[in-house]
Amino acid sequence: MEFTEPVVLVLTSLADGPKHGYALAKDIEEFAGVKLGPGTLYGALSRLEDRGWIEALPADDRRRPYRITTRGAESLGAHLAAAQQVATTGLRRLELRPAR
Amino acid sequence: MTKPWPARLLVAYPPDWRARYGDEVDLLVRDLRDGGRSRVPMAVDLIRGAAAAWCRTRRGFAMSERSRNALITVLWSWVAYAAMAAWFGHDLGIYPSRGTASQIAAAHPIVPDAYHVLYAIGIVGLAATAIAAVPFAVEAARHARAHHRNRVFALMAVPPVVAGGWLGGVPLATHGHATTVRLTVSVLWLLLGLAGIAASTQAVARIVMTTEFSAATWRIGAASAAAVTAAMLVGTGATITWGLAFRASQGHTAGASGWLVAIAVFAVTTGRAVIALIGSRRATSAEPAVA
Repeated sequence: MEFTEPVVLVLTSLADGPKHGYALAKDIEEFAGVKLGPGTLYGALSRLEDRGWIEALPADDRRRPYRITTRGAESLGAHLAAAQQVATTGLRRLELRPAR
Repeated sequence: MTKPWPARLLVAYPPDWRARYGDEVDLLVRDLRDGGRSRVPMAVDLIRGAAAAWCRTRRGFAMSERSRNALITVLWSWVAYAAMAAWFGHDLGIYPSRGTASQIAAAHPIVPDAYHVLYAIGIVGLAATAIAAVPFAVEAARHARAHHRNRVFALMAVPPVVAGGWLGGVPLATHGHATTVRLTVSVLWLLLGLAGIAASTQAVARIVMTTEFSAATWRIGAASAAAVTAAMLVGTGATITWGLAFRASQGHTAGASGWLVAIAVFAVTTGRAVIALIGSRRATSAEPAVA
């Protein structure tokens, strides 16, 4: 599955505990400064649910929370570790770049 | 609480997707509006999401396991039915010579009708199978190449290799021996052919069970399964009617064992196919398909 930005943001938000759509949108806005629209957010949720990386919990007052699965957590962990390696390498190379 | 107008754009989503997520998105749009989010960006985002959902529906349609099983049940039923029809055609005298068939047709005018019906359903069934086989084979090959699943290519090779090997060995198996040996080898070769048909069908079933196909391909498969099942129904009905008429015109029921075996196999295989198709339709309407 392609790790698009919304997918990573949703998984990262759910790593903190189950959330419904609005709670996800607010949490992502807080920690990443990204305002995910309803179409983008639920597009990511449907793909993640198809893949078995998240699962829906019983609805509470019409709001259905989602939680990350073990497979989803493992996939997110592997992706973030790889991204961290790229980020570390990139930052180190930027520091080593000779000034012009 | 009034419904915000961007929520009305949910009608642009695929029905199955809307059935699963529509209420939640509707509520989210209300919450975001109440939280101060602008309506126009939300509307644009919903339109973009609808386009993406339709694209996913066409590309990565997730067929329910029950529907896959139904398609495979119809395939197995059709293979068994076709094998029985081929044997029954041989029993009627369609093979090995047209001369024999002509003699029987002259003696029993109703028999040619049975030939025509069996030929017609054979053509319809084979055409439907071939039409469905092409997109399934192309997509299975693409999927296997994209995911480095060489096993799928090995499974795809089973039917042509088995057919080629078996047909190529027919002259060797039926030639140049004493009568008793030739008969034994012929029977063994026939059994080997049946095993080959079973192995080929199982290989195709395995591919269907383990590969992701597009919605268009599943639709072609479902239409072909319906056409094949309809042909089986017509063939079974015609064979029963013909057999009864033939027995009535002859005034006796002796020598009917071949016909009885044929209609028993036809009825069982057709019944299995019909039940599988009906079950599949119920499952599709009851479970929200994943968009």
